[in-house]
Amino acid sequence: MNGKLAPDKEILLVEDNPDDAELTRIAFAETGGDYRLRVVSDGAEALSYLYACAPAELPALVLLDLNLPKLDGREVLQAIRAEPATRSLPVVVLTTSAEPFDVDKVYALGANSYIQKPVEFERFVEVVRQIGLYWLALNQPPTTP
Amino acid sequence: MPPQQAATQDEARFRLAMASAGIGMAIVSLQGEWVDVNPALCRMFGYGEGELIGRRVHAISHPDDLPLTAQLFERLHSGEADALDAEKRYIRKDGSTIDVLLNTALMRGAGGAPLYFISQFRDVTAQRAAERALRELNETLEQRVRERTAEVEAAHRRLEAFTHGVSHDLRAPLRAIDGFAAQLDRQAGAALDAQAREQLSRIRNASARMGALIDSLLELARIGRAELRPANVDVSLLAEWVAAELQDAQPQRPARVRVQPGLDAIGDERLLKALLSQLLRNAWQFSAACERVEIDVEGARAADGLHFVVRDRGIGFDMAYAGKLFEPFQRLHGSEQGAGHGIGLTIAQQAAARHGGTIRAEAGPGPGASFHVALRDLALPAQERARDNTETRAA
Repeated sequence: MNGKLAPDKEILLVEDNPDDAELTRIAFAETGGDYRLRVVSDGAEALSYLYACAPAELPALVLLDLNLPKLDGREVLQAIRAEPATRSLPVVVLTTSAEPFDVDKVYALGANSYIQKPVEFERFVEVVRQIGLYWLALNQPPTTP
Repeated sequence: MPPQQAATQDEARFRLAMASAGIGMAIVSLQGEWVDVNPALCRMFGYGEGELIGRRVHAISHPDDLPLTAQLFERLHSGEADALDAEKRYIRKDGSTIDVLLNTALMRGAGGAPLYFISQFRDVTAQRAAERALRELNETLEQRVRERTAEVEAAHRRLEAFTHGVSHDLRAPLRAIDGFAAQLDRQAGAALDAQAREQLSRIRNASARMGALIDSLLELARIGRAELRPANVDVSLLAEWVAAELQDAQPQRPARVRVQPGLDAIGDERLLKALLSQLLRNAWQFSAACERVEIDVEGARAADGLHFVVRDRGIGFDMAYAGKLFEPFQRLHGSEQGAGHGIGLTIAQQAAARHGGTIRAEAGPGPGASFHVALRDLALPAQERARDNTETRAA
């Protein structure tokens, strides 16, 4: 695994704000990880992409913004969890909201993790680095004793 | 005294009593005509004495109450009662209706023959109006409660939407400003002159300040509407925790924070942490000019809650502006003296207010400021109280 995602795996970023999408791309580049980032800009597009994927083509991780046009992030998350093919996809919710109410709701809907996008760029890079580590932890093959 | 003379004297006394009485009094003939009326009665009905005497009482009675009057006279005549009370309506000279409590007695002569009625009139119009209003108010109360509840809920939803908007939509552009300024600095920083780099750093500092301001506004909104979760709270521990956070953020800063152990309150831990955070941060920031930050937290239990004081040795403030300290966005010092965005103390006060408490600021006499917090214990939920009792017994 050598600290990188398998080259045939990608991260799906569902983000409608082009500034945030670009910053996320830069932040991933800053961490030095070899990530392939696919960006879709609304919830409906995210679902139609995921539903069209063959199992082997499914992204390794979905980064999901909550405030999206058409279908919002919560609806997308619900739909991902309702569909057998995508049910076990790791989903990290990305949002600006730090409201505890939102946090509880998102976990209740089945997010694997929740990350608040910080204003400060360096902290944003740090958050993205954590996402990479999180992905590694999720996909590490079990170690044999 | 001959009987005739005694009777005259009695009558004189009676007339004097009538004239000076505060309530309306009248002598009414058996035919229902005014024979004598006192000034209070004239004032009550708005007529002069001359306009009433000789006229029938019926003339100024409310038409709907005429049967009641007839019945009253009949019962007195028949000897069923000596005196009767009734509530009647009359029409004043100006046309308005008044509610009157009436007491009428039939006076009889030596042989028992009826002579005349003596009536007393008490104006209860204002009282009845108030009662009617109250009754109407009660009848519409439920309706109004429903309306007000709907209004409050709508206001709450608007506030939620506003908070949500602030939280998401104001932060996103800030992230872009800071993120792309950081990129610019990285990619072109070396090519920029010192002034341009300084300006870039100003952009980033400004966006960081605005981010902090948004966070504080959200915290203020949250503290105002958060559901209270009362529990036993170790305020000393919270203060120590906040002090450790402040020191962590500035590890090089010489500081001594002394917290009296054993300060306990029954309150909402999150809100009390926010309160202590704001007060201690305030104390810490305004000690910027001091060689060393010195903060003391001490207090005592009062009958209904915890009273404590946070004291610093910083630059203090002018007592003339003490009232402004807790107003949002009011600052008594510039940012070079350590001032933040001016919401911190409002947050602290709001947290105290949610505990039925207050915060009072005092400057001097020496250097520094002290913030006196009086908290009232919240009521513990039933299961918490039960657990408390068990613990006490176990101990």
